[in-house]
This record gives sequence, structure tokens and C-alpha cells, in this order.
Amino acid sequence: MDKNEIKIHVAGLKKSFGDNHVLRGIDIDIHAGEVVCVIGPSGSGKSTFLRCLNRLEEATAGEITIDGESITGKKADVDKIRQHVGMVFQQFNLFPHYTVKQNVMFAPVELKLKSKEEAEAKAHQLLERVGLADKIDAKPRSLSGGQQQRVAIARALAMDPDIMLFDEPTSALDPEMVGEVLDVMRELAEQGMTMVVVTHEMGFAREVADRVIFVDEGVIQEQGTPAEVMGNPQNPRTKSFLSKVL
Amino acid sequence: MDLATLFETLTAAWPLLWSGLQTTLYVTVVSLVAAMVIGILTCLMNLSSIRPLRGVAKFYIWLIRGTPMLVQAFYIYFAMPQLLQATVAPGFRIDVVTASIATLILNAGAYTSEIFRGAVQSVDKGQMEASRSLGVGKAKTMQKIILPQAVRICLPSLVNQCIITLKDSTIMYAIGLPEIMNQAKVYVGRTMDSFATYTWVAVIFLVITSVLMLASSALEKRMRA
Repeated sequence: MDKNEIKIHVAGLKKSFGDNHVLRGIDIDIHAGEVVCVIGPSGSGKSTFLRCLNRLEEATAGEITIDGESITGKKADVDKIRQHVGMVFQQFNLFPHYTVKQNVMFAPVELKLKSKEEAEAKAHQLLERVGLADKIDAKPRSLSGGQQQRVAIARALAMDPDIMLFDEPTSALDPEMVGEVLDVMRELAEQGMTMVVVTHEMGFAREVADRVIFVDEGVIQEQGTPAEVMGNPQNPRTKSFLSKVL
Repeated sequence: MDLATLFETLTAAWPLLWSGLQTTLYVTVVSLVAAMVIGILTCLMNLSSIRPLRGVAKFYIWLIRGTPMLVQAFYIYFAMPQLLQATVAPGFRIDVVTASIATLILNAGAYTSEIFRGAVQSVDKGQMEASRSLGVGKAKTMQKIILPQAVRICLPSLVNQCIITLKDSTIMYAIGLPEIMNQAKVYVGRTMDSFATYTWVAVIFLVITSVLMLASSALEKRMRA
């Protein structure tokens, strides 16, 4: 993998909801294999930023390209781009009427990217990887939050994405289940997945991130390695935020 | 008035009541099946991003919800044929069964449309987002993820609509449909036995609606399990 390859390019990204200017101009390049953790107070715009990256939110202004392809343009084939950008949500959003296996197989089979047999084999392999091989025929609601989130990660991985977006993946979990989800994410990072993670888990950011960006008031206030941003913050806003959460 | 005379009335009135009940059930079932189709179609139109489609669906629901069914029945059976005969179709005729079914379809269709819309909108927004984030298109997501969950949510309301349409079919008495109430009236006209006859009509409705209500709560229980 070419570490200099730019996977995500964001220039002048702005997003408003009516009079509420949530993002006021974000510029960032994210490289292949890089793990970027986005931290910041609630309401700072960090989730909105992430959701703009796969166009779950429509950018008000600015440009985003994924692997050189514009996703903000009018003619962008959003579905095509999303197929290789996985997303994991705070609330898991598993499909309750499907079993765990059907959740994981759904997209590749519906999009005719894999035969049923291939998708099934892949589902087995992915669920093994997230430690849930024994839950393959269970319905989501019989699983714990941590287990559901690991299924959600497997579901995203079933599309063979080369970028993964995580929107506060452990915020809805009971404390004792946070670890099992972070372990899966850590393993993904080690395998070279390009990841953008909006998180409140400072320990995870410090340990796994290649770069931490601190977002507040809709702009990137400060960024750098975890040691720089979290160990020796320069911006007074970063200092104040970290003093509250660390 | 004792129990024995009540049962005598039932035996004597049964041929008329039974023929009326058959008509009642026939128009109800046909109307409900068609209304489900119309309901889903207009619900999808109502939720579509294409403005004219939304407009047509909203107009239809507005029109039906805003007028009494009796007026709709008279409109379809008397007013509309007159207009058509005077304009585009001089030979236009509509029989009372067709007019009754058309009225019930239009009516139940509008209400089921709203039932479906409520159910679709009550499916968590995250479901659409999760499916779209995987690169699956909107129509496919609707079909495979949203609608199956919506149908489960609205099953009890749909059964309730069946009960309403069954009872509403008696309004077609007013345009002369030989449904159960009409036949009961015929029997009472001959015998003056109104208490016993209308008691049996009420009992027959109660039996059918009770079965539907039981089915509805059984469905609800099964879905919660």
C-alpha cells in the first residue's frame, strides 16, 4: 500500500442546518492506512463531518473526494462510492428482521457482488474474526450491545471496504463492552485499514491513532500525533477540552 | 319477549340475513384487498421525492378524509353517472355492487395509505442510513429493509381497518345495496319484528369483529415475542 496515496480529500467543507453553521470550513487529507481519530466536545460538528464523508449529510459548500472521485458533485455515483466506504453507527442499526448472518450477507448479495455461497462463506469468516461465530443464526435483539456493534463492523467489512468510518462506535455501550469493540477496531487498524473514528475514547485515540484532530466550533482547531495533541496541546480550546475528559 | 321467540326470529329471518351477510362479506373482502394495493401505492407516492406524485396522493387522501362516506357513495352511484352520461359517455351505467365496492375501496385505500405511511415513518431512520451506507439504493432499501419492518408495525392497525370497512359497508344500505342491514329491513317490513331482527344483526357483526379482534391481539403478541 502506498502510504502517500490520498484516500480522502476534503477542501473548504461547510455544512449548515438553516442558520446553524455546524461546519465552517474543514480541510484535511487522509492517507492510505492512516487512522484518524476525531475528538471534540459534543455539538462541535465532528459527527456531521464524518457523515459528510459518505454523503449521509449533504455538504453546503466545499469538496470531498474519495479515492480521487468526487462525492459532493451533482453527478457523483454515491452508491458506488459508498460500496467501498464502510460505516459503523453509534446505535449499531442492525436490521432487526434479519439474523446476524443475513445482516452481514445483505449488501453483497443484493448488489450482486457475490453469489449467495460466497457471501455466506465470507460472513462466516468475518463473524469468526469478530468473535461471534456462535451467534450466526441469532436475531440482533438477542445480542448485547457490544456483540451487536461487532456484527455491525462485520456487516460493513462484508463489502470489502478500503475505508471505514466510525461514528462514536462505543458511546451507546455499557462500559464493560467497550473493550471488545475497540479490540476489533484495533485489529483492523493493524491490518492497514484507512479509518476515521469519531470517539470519546481518549485511551484508544492515544494508542491507535496516527493522527488526532480536535474539532470545535465547526473547524479543526488542532491536529497532530496523539502525543502532540493530547500530550502537549497548544490551542487553549484543546487544553480546556482535554482537561475535562482526561 | 323471551329467548325462544328470539331464536324463532333467527330461523325465520335467516334466509334473508344470510343472503345479506354474503353480500356484506363479498363487498368487504373485495374492497379490502384492492384497498391494500391502493394504500401501498399511494403511500409510496406520498413518500416519493417526485412532487406531482406526492401531490396526487395528498389530494386523494384529503378528498376522502374530508368528505362523509355517504356523500362519496351518492356521488359515485348518482352524481358521477349523470355527469358522465351528459358528457363523455352517454351510455354509462354503474350497478349498485360496483358502486359500493368502488366507494369502500376509495375510502379504505385512503386510510390504509395513512396507516402504511405512519408505519414506514416509524421505522428508525438509522435503518435507511445503514442500508444506504452499504451502497444499497433507495428503492431496494425500501423493499428489503423498510417495508418488511413497516408491515409488522402496522398489522394491528390493518386488522382494525378491516373491522371499520366491514361496519362501513352497512352505509351502502343508503344506495340500495342488498347487504345485511337492507335485508334485515326487508324482514322487519314484512313482520314488524324489529327488536329481535336488529339484535341478530348486531350479534352477527359482533361475532365477526370479535374474531378479527382476537386475531389482531394474537398477531400483536406473536410480533412482540
